[in-house]
Amino acid sequence: MNSTEIAERLKSMPDGSSIALKIGENNFADNYVAAITGILKEFMPERRYTCVYVTTTTPSHLCKNLFEMFEVDVSNIYFVDAISHIMMNVSTQMERTTYIESPTMLENILLKIEFLLKKLPTENKLLILDSINTLAIHNGNRILAEFLHILVNNLKSKGVFTIILGVEEKNSDEISNMLSLVCDDTIVVK
Amino acid sequence: MMTDVLTEKKPFPRERCKTGIEGLDNILNGGIPRGNTILITGSCGTGKTTLSLEFLVHGALAGEKCLFISVTEPSSKLLANLIPYEFFDDRLIEQGLLVFIDMPALYERLGLRKTEFTFEEIHMLVNAIVGIVRELQIKRLVIDSITSVCFQLKTEEKIREFILKLGKALSDYGCTSLLVSEISPAEQRYSMYGVEEAIADGIIILGNLERKGDLLRTLQVVKMRGTSHSRAKYVLDLTPIGILLVPLLKGGMGGEK
Repeated sequence: MNSTEIAERLKSMPDGSSIALKIGENNFADNYVAAITGILKEFMPERRYTCVYVTTTTPSHLCKNLFEMFEVDVSNIYFVDAISHIMMNVSTQMERTTYIESPTMLENILLKIEFLLKKLPTENKLLILDSINTLAIHNGNRILAEFLHILVNNLKSKGVFTIILGVEEKNSDEISNMLSLVCDDTIVVK
Repeated sequence: MMTDVLTEKKPFPRERCKTGIEGLDNILNGGIPRGNTILITGSCGTGKTTLSLEFLVHGALAGEKCLFISVTEPSSKLLANLIPYEFFDDRLIEQGLLVFIDMPALYERLGLRKTEFTFEEIHMLVNAIVGIVRELQIKRLVIDSITSVCFQLKTEEKIREFILKLGKALSDYGCTSLLVSEISPAEQRYSMYGVEEAIADGIIILGNLERKGDLLRTLQVVKMRGTSHSRAKYVLDLTPIGILLVPLLKGGMGGEK
């Protein structure tokens, strides 16, 4: 599946949708690039979304560098970074970024998302959670299920388009069940 | 005709004093019942003063006259805490909607210099506070902290007398009051002297919850006369747009494997 096909699938869904986007492990780098460019370069500008990008995997400054490498306009992307602190990597704080001490502080992730959604001047908003697998490393299934349930339903009630990224083969049965329960649709990128 | 069983025989709803903190107003089903005296209790660094100031600023923005009586630190220092708020406007102070008074100055004016007040002096203090509230037509009052005032009252009888008299006079006037109470983190009760919590119409407890090494700021309404309310624990964040609240996730409790 290439970036345009991913973008077309997303464009067929209304505002407020919640999507589990599962990236195949084989050729992961290519699949990830297709997913990111499909979302951020093709889908997001058409809907005129402002993006809240929650990273629990890669520090936000590296995400930003990567996105810029793929010529993504990062001026409309706000980061919630829940990984840099535990990697002792926040000596230089980036603009448009809010930091959380640890990916175990799920309530604080909810609070920072709430803060950004209230602060952002635009009506049209996109939230990307990257990724469900790293959250599962740091949190038990029960608390993670509760977090996802509250997060997705809250965003849906506010009309925010939500995309939850994950590595397909690394998703446990529990995580797959959680995603199918809270998400409207699943896209597999292989 | 079918009647809605959930709406039958509901008591006459009391007028609400919206705190302006969206999450807290939701917890309280619309806000604090007007005229209630509320104990805001917690250990240091839990956000008691911040919550109280935000309550006053929102009141002032809504056109209500608000008074902050500072017992422990000069009000000039407190004002510095207000500036980061995006919704704070200096004109609220200039227009007299937001008034700050230092309690030591009030003691001085009343000639209260002793370390322990008599009943007569307590009445004098209550009358002075109520007099200011009447004169300035105050609708929201914060005393930060009531623990420091109680320190000079010493006995349970005097503390009871002070809070009862003050609470009644303020309630009669329709003034909604927050009394800030300081407790140590290990405290099993809601106030230093145990009297304040029994007399207050409501208790909001702010705390620090440690979970697997993470420290979360929490808020819980344990008592609120005049309204149904959630008694669950919430996690809060102090932000430039004010206090934000989300439910405490319970999945992590109770020995998950």
